[in-house]
Amino acid sequence: MKQETKQFLEEHQSTTPSKWREEAQWRRENRDWLRYSQRIALLLLSYMKREHLTQASIAERMGCTQQYVSKILKGTENLTIETIAKIEYITSSKLLTFD
Amino acid sequence: MTFDKILNNGTLWAVRYEGDDDNALRKVFNQWNDPEWLWDFFTENMADLEAYFKITDLNQAIYDTMDDSGELECLILDISPDADLDALFRPLENYRTTEMTLGKEKARLHNRPAHASWLRLYAIKLEQGCYIITGGAIKLTHTMSERTHTLRELSKMERVRNLLLENGVIDNEGFEDYIKEV
Repeated sequence: MKQETKQFLEEHQSTTPSKWREEAQWRRENRDWLRYSQRIALLLLSYMKREHLTQASIAERMGCTQQYVSKILKGTENLTIETIAKIEYITSSKLLTFD
Repeated sequence: MTFDKILNNGTLWAVRYEGDDDNALRKVFNQWNDPEWLWDFFTENMADLEAYFKITDLNQAIYDTMDDSGELECLILDISPDADLDALFRPLENYRTTEMTLGKEKARLHNRPAHASWLRLYAIKLEQGCYIITGGAIKLTHTMSERTHTLRELSKMERVRNLLLENGVIDNEGFEDYIKEV
């Protein structure tokens, strides 16, 4: 790269480091279970939209905080079987199936 | 506006806009992995999804976006220092075959099964093999000027390009080309 370009970009570098690479690597390393978490988030979201429910009312039904429901809906929570069972119960869906 | 080095060898950068706590690359990949953000986006743009991609299942569109986002993100994560970035980024205008001073470029996944990928990363080409990512979008329409969210990306590219031009990030040969353009 020519010197002027390099100098300009380096003089205008952000003062705090980016978290992109760290997050991207985390997404890749946890891809398999994240896919389930995202799908569960989507199932819950579909249910909430269909029934016109708020995060607060879901939290009340699940017996957890609204902040936790918000985290579930981000699709990045490694959910416990207990939480999955609660989501199955309130959405009347079967998420875990066994042959 | 500041810049983040994405590759240590300085061939790939990303813009961090005023008021943002991180760069455009992190922002788009976070959006493309956020079920709520994707739900709102596809609900708002369902007509385009149906018209251009013949997809009527919103959940399927979200799953496809997340899958493609993972692929595209890994592609960038795995760029080796001696990789040819000119193979990843292509001119924004499909008809453009000549080099353009601080050209507007795009990166996307190719050979995706079932339907073409609608994810785009946008960048400005600094010189051969060197790029600055300005943003990204879910492009569902034929042209970027048809929708507000893609128009916004065009405007971001223009802003970054102008800043670079104003600050002389251009060599003599490039400057001559630029004068010809204007």
